[in-house]
Amino acid sequence: MTTKITSAPPAAGPRKGSRRRPAASPSVSKVGRPGFAWALPAAVFFALFAIVPLVMVAVLSFMSWNGLGSPQWVGTDNWSRLMDDPVMLKSVWLTLLLTVLGVVVQTPLSIMLGVWAAGHQRNRAVLSVIYFIPLLLSATAVSVLWRALLDPNFGIPADAGWLFGDGNLFGEQATAIGVLAFVSTWQFTPFHTLIYQGAARSIPQVLYQAAEIDGAGRYRQFFHITLPQLRNSMITSMILMIVGGLTTFETVLILTQGGPGTDTTISAYYMYDKAFKGFDFGAGSAIALALVVAATIISLVVVKVSGYDKMRSSMEGVS
Amino acid sequence: MKTRARLPRLIATGATLALALSLSACGGGDGGASADDGKIHILVYGDATNKIEKQIVDKFNETSDVKAVLDTIPGADYQKKLQTIISTPQAPDVFFNWGGGSIKPFVKADLLLPLDDFIKKNPDLESKFLPSVFNNAVVDGKPYGIPMRGTQPVLLFHNKNVLKKAGVQPPKTWDELLDAVEKLKDEGVTPIALGGGDVWPTQMWFQYLYDRIAGPELFQKALDGDKSAWEAPESKKALKMIRELVDAGAFGKNYDSVKYTNGGSVALVAQGKAGFELMGSWYYSQQLTDHPDFAEKGLGYSAFPAVEGGKGDPKNVAGNTNNYYSVMKKTKHPEAVAEFLELMYSDEFVKAQLDVGNLTTTTNTDRFIETSATPEYSRFQYDLVADAPSFQLSWDQAFPQSAASDMHKAIQQFFNGQLDADGFIKAMQALPTE
Repeated sequence: MTTKITSAPPAAGPRKGSRRRPAASPSVSKVGRPGFAWALPAAVFFALFAIVPLVMVAVLSFMSWNGLGSPQWVGTDNWSRLMDDPVMLKSVWLTLLLTVLGVVVQTPLSIMLGVWAAGHQRNRAVLSVIYFIPLLLSATAVSVLWRALLDPNFGIPADAGWLFGDGNLFGEQATAIGVLAFVSTWQFTPFHTLIYQGAARSIPQVLYQAAEIDGAGRYRQFFHITLPQLRNSMITSMILMIVGGLTTFETVLILTQGGPGTDTTISAYYMYDKAFKGFDFGAGSAIALALVVAATIISLVVVKVSGYDKMRSSMEGVS
Repeated sequence: MKTRARLPRLIATGATLALALSLSACGGGDGGASADDGKIHILVYGDATNKIEKQIVDKFNETSDVKAVLDTIPGADYQKKLQTIISTPQAPDVFFNWGGGSIKPFVKADLLLPLDDFIKKNPDLESKFLPSVFNNAVVDGKPYGIPMRGTQPVLLFHNKNVLKKAGVQPPKTWDELLDAVEKLKDEGVTPIALGGGDVWPTQMWFQYLYDRIAGPELFQKALDGDKSAWEAPESKKALKMIRELVDAGAFGKNYDSVKYTNGGSVALVAQGKAGFELMGSWYYSQQLTDHPDFAEKGLGYSAFPAVEGGKGDPKNVAGNTNNYYSVMKKTKHPEAVAEFLELMYSDEFVKAQLDVGNLTTTTNTDRFIETSATPEYSRFQYDLVADAPSFQLSWDQAFPQSAASDMHKAIQQFFNGQLDADGFIKAMQALPTE
């Protein structure tokens, strides 16, 4: 039945790749592409819960509202206040710092773990399961757990004074940021490991066999076969890390509450602080909108620079 | 072609699915209350005391035609969630609050019912409560709250064994406190436990010292919008004394990593690793829950020490004056609400509150103290509050809620040395007062 519909398509434009190598994906050419209607439920949902609120937030950022009564139009007042706000500037730097820290620490770690977990021995499977446990916990549970574990008098620092000194991890900026980076690494590395594990398993064994015949050692194989083959997964994982980093919130809320003072007040937390603690929903909306714009731009830049938009297959030249 | 024919059905299915999902999503956020279901909804802070509120509501429902429903919001986010729902149809008829600044914005937004009409019909609604407490919910000359639950003065608690070992008596003056700090340091314990990670415990030191040094008038001046109050010499003196206390190592070095809310500072005192802790009167029941043995045998308490040469009366107290029930203007059943509020000075209410360690502020409280669960502790608090010329409401409750976050930041930053006195004064002057 379905063959009827799809007898025409190879003429369609965007599928140049599959036209070049029709034999590589015989099953695809038999089935038609899903129609637009398939995207409709998601599109409706996206519009309802993302686009509409986004527009409302944009409007609210030009208003003054404390949550009671009706909002007052104040023009660009919220925006000019934010521009002059040192805490806002600081929060942007902190957000970027935490995001970069996340990418720099988590990427090598999850690549190594992922490639390792892609092996087939039985003990790896068991250990992998243990590695993935943090993934199952909510960010809130993870934060509460670490807040208790890092208590200076009753947690780990109390027994490891040689490492933690007086244990004032949450009382100083450097250590507080360190804790935040550590906790998100602890929580999210398993997720990225999972991505790399899947990707590493899909690397054809032929490549390694050929390399071995050519006399390439383990490290050469890793740097010349595995890493290049993981390229697309790396970009996917890094975009997820960046977006996740820019929107980090729960860990800060529970672990540091933006403190000490404003030393860990990242933008997302500052938005919450303004809107829901200070009841200044106009300023909160402005921060939220700025965050959306910044995250979109950064994601687009990463996609462009990495060539992710072209989706070059890592399988090219393999078969 | 077949895809074409399928399209409308798919759209219909998709739309229905989206609708169903969004509906169920709405159902998930059930606040409990609705516009008018012929009942009165009473919203309270969700904690252990709810047991008694439930009991009072049940008693009320025995005789009333209009039934009352108790809704609770758990956790420390009560105020935030309340402000989110208060101008929606989900708003309750009657709700729990802290009086003072916590209800001012609602009064300004014309959401609350002034209670003078209720009081005119039944003067007991005012006269059965201690006046200093009742007056804390008076805004712009009109009463907006009826005291409920109990008063919570902040006391200086201590570990009896630790103090004994160090040869220290509960301090009556500031100098005695400084002396105790040195002796406790020599013993190798943290002199004063502080949950600086929560910040509001840190604030307690500020509100008491300001009151002892300048008297209640200075803070009231600042609260009334006179920013110069923060530059007064008394304000600077209080800041200097706080600085000295911190620099003397009274709180150790890691107080900002310690929390009261996760039991950290509570355990420090109970396990003898710290001598003192300044905390609200709920501390006793907290210790009783976490460390029952210590609470019964080792926990001592005293009033905040006097400061020599200060203008404030050493008998003044600070803390949560009380909690209050305020009434929404939009309530459809004001008569039933008035009837419900009358229960707040009933003998049954007072007895039930005393049984869980809450000290009510009604005129008949005195009669039941001796039969309460902790007569000695209740008597101490009651006398303290009844004799106090002034009861300073916690700073973050006295100021409007919109000021609390910035105030906490300034307090934490001054305490740990990130801000100097001038920086602190500037930060406090920048706080909104209405």
